[in-house]
Amino acid sequence: MARDRSAQTDYASPIRRILIGAMLLFCIAILLLWRIDSPRVDRFRAAVVDQVVPSFEWAAAPVRRTARMAEDFQSYQRIWEQNQELKRELQRMQVWKEAAVQLEEQNAKLLALNNVRLDPKLTSVSGVVIADSGSPFRQSVLINVGAQDGIRDGWAVMDGLGLVGRISGLGAQTARVLLLTDTASRIPITIQPSGQRAILSGDNSAAPLVDFVENDDLVRPGDQVFSSGDGGVFPAGQLIGALVRGRDGRLRVRLSADYERLEFLRVLRSHEAEVIEDVGSLIVPPQPEPQGPVQPAPEALSVAPVVPTLRPEARTVPAIPVSEESSDG
Amino acid sequence: MVDPLTTRLWGFRLLYVGLVALFVFLRLLPFGAHADSLPGPDFALALTFAWLMRRPEYVPAPLIVAVFLVLDLLFHQAPGLWTALVLLGTEFLRARQATTREIAFALEFGLVAGVLAAMCAMNHLILSLLFVERPPFGLYLLQAAFTLLVYPVVVLISALALNIRRATVEELALRGERA
Repeated sequence: MARDRSAQTDYASPIRRILIGAMLLFCIAILLLWRIDSPRVDRFRAAVVDQVVPSFEWAAAPVRRTARMAEDFQSYQRIWEQNQELKRELQRMQVWKEAAVQLEEQNAKLLALNNVRLDPKLTSVSGVVIADSGSPFRQSVLINVGAQDGIRDGWAVMDGLGLVGRISGLGAQTARVLLLTDTASRIPITIQPSGQRAILSGDNSAAPLVDFVENDDLVRPGDQVFSSGDGGVFPAGQLIGALVRGRDGRLRVRLSADYERLEFLRVLRSHEAEVIEDVGSLIVPPQPEPQGPVQPAPEALSVAPVVPTLRPEARTVPAIPVSEESSDG
Repeated sequence: MVDPLTTRLWGFRLLYVGLVALFVFLRLLPFGAHADSLPGPDFALALTFAWLMRRPEYVPAPLIVAVFLVLDLLFHQAPGLWTALVLLGTEFLRARQATTREIAFALEFGLVAGVLAAMCAMNHLILSLLFVERPPFGLYLLQAAFTLLVYPVVVLISALALNIRRATVEELALRGERA
């Protein structure tokens, strides 16, 4: 009997070892493939998530509903305090409302003065958050709109208050929103009122880090932070939050979006930024016919790099007709 | 006619998959991890180790690979890396099955802790070698610590509710006879 068993294991163990080795190689191959050709693997991942997560939905909905009810019930318990709080808040808000109305009027006047055309194409698709990333090291959520609803990779996502993140990973019915707090998130920002450009990079903490500020002296905590639209991927001028000085002394952004309860999200339908492909042709005054073997004038060569840089600028701002005229005159 | 022992075996394998699915479901519910919150324990790993140390036949290597690959994909981790490390860790423990069968729980706990720490370190090392964006190493260690904390609980519940204990010598002899 005992001999039988040992004989069996003797045959089995090399095969087993080969099997384990093969599986190990397979895993490492997937890892390397992911590292080399990330988009393809991530598309596959999105397809898997697209299959799996909506099938959880029937079970998740009641659980979620129950949890919300429990939350609501907890809030009933301190309804009086809340009422007081709200009253105080309302008083404060009255002041702000006045300020807002004044600012709105002022803004309207200024816009009229400038004759600025706002982008009418900036519409949005709304979705509901159906799942978390699941991992504590990945800050992302899954929403229930996807490629079927015309969502594209890279579009900006907001809740009612501010920017939340961008679409990164797309299934037919679901899309992953990479939150600004994720370590992979990098967004070009503008800090107002100084207008400093910087990069907002997530680091897995609630307040993402502000990197590459041109001049540190011009920004101070409390400044408003907006997306800048540099790079052409992101719509410009979306509110992100307010600048704060972190405990480590570095500049961070307190996000305006309510990250504690992301429920309904708006995906901003941004259109591809126009790309200028040609470098612009030379604009030179009509030259007199050269008489004899005269070398081309050297100043024509030195003018050449200046002229094409003027051209694209004039073409990128057709929305402001005033500027075009002024540049001519 | 299906052998009752075989039925039991496959029943427990199915149960393993089911429990992991439940864990995934709970983790994916959209009011879990915010940034700044502490990383929760990795129940799937604790369950795998707990069952492996007691009934290695319930968690065969191909099943572990399949389950953890799906977890990698769903949780947006680097696909394959954590799976490979889990496979290495479990194979390491499985190979020492004969020697660990009679050790005390404290020793087993230490062994599991060592394997887990090694897996975390390898994970971080490989991620940094591949230049993947990664959270600080402390967070991984914290999660490993939480996983270790729930490990005894998982062991206890498996033993009490599902009667998953170490196979006794008689049982092993019986199984040998059947084989």
